Amino acid sequence: MSGIFIAFFSALAVVFAIMVITMRQPMRAALSLVAHMVCLAALYACLGAHVVAVFQVLIYVGAVMVFMVYTIMLLDDRDMSYQWVFSRLALPAVVVAGLVAAALWVLIGRLPVTAPAIATAAGDSFTFSSFSVAFMQHYWFHFELATVLLLIGIIAAWAAVKEGSNG
Amino acid sequence: MDRYQFLVALAGLIFTLGLLGVVIRRNLLVVMMCLEIMLNAVVLSFVTTAVRTQSIPGVAMTFFIYVAASCEVALAMAIMVILVRRRHSLDVGTFQDLKG
Amino acid sequence: MNHLMLIPLLPLVGFLINGLIGSRLPRWLVSVIACGLPAAAFALTIGAFTLLRTTGTPIAETLFTWVGAADIKVDVALYFDQVSAVMCLVVTGVGTLIHIYSAGYMSHDKSFARYFAYLNLFLFFMLTLVLGKNLIMLFAGWEGVGLASYLLIGFWFEDREKTNAGLKAFVVNRVGDTGFVLAAFLIFYFTKTLDFQGINGYFAATQPSLLIMNTIGILLLFGACGKSAQIPLHVWLPDAMAGPTPVSALIHAATMVTAGVYLLSRMSGVFLHAPLAMDVVAWGGALTAFVGATMGITQYNIKKVLAYSTMSQIGYMFMACGLGAFDAGMFHLYTHALFKACLFLGAGAIIHALHGEEDMRKMGGLWRKIPLTFGTFLFASLALSGVPPFAGFFSKDEILWNAWSAPNGSPAIWAIGWIAAGMTAFYMTRAIIMTFFGESNVPEKVEAGIHEAPFSMASVLVILAALSLVGGFIGTRFTGFLSPVLGHPVAEGAAAGGMEHILMGASVAIAACGILLGCFLYLGKRTLVEKIRDAVGPIYRLVSNGYYFDAFYYKVVVRCVDWVSESVLAKVTETTFNFVAIELPSGGINMVSRLFSSLQTGNVQAYVLYVLLGLALILWWGVAHA
Repeated sequence: MSGIFIAFFSALAVVFAIMVITMRQPMRAALSLVAHMVCLAALYACLGAHVVAVFQVLIYVGAVMVFMVYTIMLLDDRDMSYQWVFSRLALPAVVVAGLVAAALWVLIGRLPVTAPAIATAAGDSFTFSSFSVAFMQHYWFHFELATVLLLIGIIAAWAAVKEGSNG
Repeated sequence: MDRYQFLVALAGLIFTLGLLGVVIRRNLLVVMMCLEIMLNAVVLSFVTTAVRTQSIPGVAMTFFIYVAASCEVALAMAIMVILVRRRHSLDVGTFQDLKG
Repeated sequence: MNHLMLIPLLPLVGFLINGLIGSRLPRWLVSVIACGLPAAAFALTIGAFTLLRTTGTPIAETLFTWVGAADIKVDVALYFDQVSAVMCLVVTGVGTLIHIYSAGYMSHDKSFARYFAYLNLFLFFMLTLVLGKNLIMLFAGWEGVGLASYLLIGFWFEDREKTNAGLKAFVVNRVGDTGFVLAAFLIFYFTKTLDFQGINGYFAATQPSLLIMNTIGILLLFGACGKSAQIPLHVWLPDAMAGPTPVSALIHAATMVTAGVYLLSRMSGVFLHAPLAMDVVAWGGALTAFVGATMGITQYNIKKVLAYSTMSQIGYMFMACGLGAFDAGMFHLYTHALFKACLFLGAGAIIHALHGEEDMRKMGGLWRKIPLTFGTFLFASLALSGVPPFAGFFSKDEILWNAWSAPNGSPAIWAIGWIAAGMTAFYMTRAIIMTFFGESNVPEKVEAGIHEAPFSMASVLVILAALSLVGGFIGTRFTGFLSPVLGHPVAEGAAAGGMEHILMGASVAIAACGILLGCFLYLGKRTLVEKIRDAVGPIYRLVSNGYYFDAFYYKVVVRCVDWVSESVLAKVTETTFNFVAIELPSGGINMVSRLFSSLQTGNVQAYVLYVLLGLALILWWGVAHA
């Protein structure tokens, strides 16, 4: 059953990713990106990693993407980059990207197939409570460091905007 | 090919798509979005591996990736606003100050 | 008693002090430092010498390893054996005296400290040369004295001619050094060592082949010729007289130019097994002795007379070495250092008195004005002429006796030396008469200012003159002292005792003849001199122009080198070299860098594409090799 879901959402995620890089309007691209992320969240849920699925939606879709959409609305939509969507490097880049994807496909196909015995026990360790306890036991210090990084990010963004408004 | 292999391959494909988008799109905002796609591909591979081995660190790592991504977006948007104010353009092709 | 190292280091300290801060020190302090440190080195040398005489074993001192590779090891090591002891005593003793003399002679010069710095530097290198335990140390000193010589000849560098003279000395010495270095390579190739004792020991046991030995010997001789101003590399010595006179006395008479003799004596182990090289040394020495003497006859510059005389006397020393009588050569080196230093310093006193006049035709009648200088000059001249009982008589007589009696000696070589001895007596008489006797040709203005040398100069002259008188009496003890190092191959000396006395009489006689002939020709009107000169016009011109050696070198050697460098090297080699080594690679690099710089478009997306491309390459490499 989960196999079908995984296949379905994978296909959807790829489709939305392609839409992101082909849509002319940034707003449409942004909405495609939101859809892409929701698909990924669904994939995580299928895998049993509910924690990640929840945060994928909350943080990415709820915070980051909303922020990005606000920015799009701030900016002028009569930009030159709207008329010519693709840069001059488009064709070689597509060729090279095709090569990369093919190589990845070949390489991953050669990986040894291991018995999915461990995977049958999935579900327990990634429930919200058990994961939270384990996370805070092991990674509380790293988590605090990450908050410092966030603080610095906020200060830097503020400083950049202030500097820009002066110039 | 079992499901985990399939998901890692999917992560590779999405990563490639994101990278491709970074190269071919002219709009700086969309380039930023493509970067987000690449980050998501990485997260996907982390989660896949973590679930397969039932290990905490892989999942913990995704949270730190979220933190980094949030910081990155906050800064990137600030810079983008400045750029638009100064250069009146979001076309990546017009920024060639790195030319040697 | 392990203070051997201090002997060369003390002058080096003097050089550093005077060279770095000398110009800010008062003059008296500069002279005290410059004279005191060599004097201390002399005292140390005497200490080491006493030890050597009582124990009889050479003193060796290894300071550190200079080169340590798989199959070559060169130590900075000092070695004080009998030969080194003699050289060291001469260098520090005469050196100290000349330093003291210089304090008076150079007192009016504005570069007082620089002069003493150079002089101390010279002493350091000379002592390195004579105390070095291996060929590399010797060579370091050898090049160092060349440098000091160059610096001191061109000491008054405002004068273009003088700097050129310094340059000439340097360049000619380099020519000789080529031979030295080649000989050192050959020696190392066969013996695998550069240590003197090792080399001599090796060749005493096994000789590669006669051809090799002779080649090494002749190459060494070539090196020695450059430093010791022997034919054909003698041309720099007369020009070297451009330097201050005490420098001529120290470097170009007493010590540096005798380094060649020292080298031959040091390498006696090579020469004793190279009969052809020995013959070349002997005949070359004899030739130089003769040619130098003839050139001395024709000169009017008092310093050049002495320069040619030096060359001639070193020819005697080479002759002695070539005949296997290394001890006789060293003996002559020692006596010559005493009396020739005295002569040069006397000439310096004359020049000092006449305010820089060096031409003997503008002197005359000076003996009344500067009697002390005259007295010492006379003593030293008698010593040089070989008049008994002065020092030169003993040493020159021993060389001439060896020329007759040594295994490879012959009456012919003796005759050349004998005639040269007569000419020596003649030109010294000529110089004395032209300088001190007859009518005064000194200009009025200068005549009033003639004064006897100051105390510092006069005392040195007296000491050296006294040594020229008594220095020869240690003859047999001297050779006895050297015998452990320089074994004397002549054994039949006792059998031919009668012959030795006859030859001794002959050399005294020819010295007397030379002196009498000089008196006869130059005392009085000198009309006969001019007649003789006119009669042998072409020969006179040949000799007075130094046998056209300079002209030959300039017209042939220098021109050839010029031609080769201008038409072959500059046009063919240089253009080819430029193309292959400079233009081709630089053009290629230019092209490649243009290629790469065209990648730097400044477009960030292009850079990301390169990343993508790199990723593709890496992945496909993985596909191909996994």
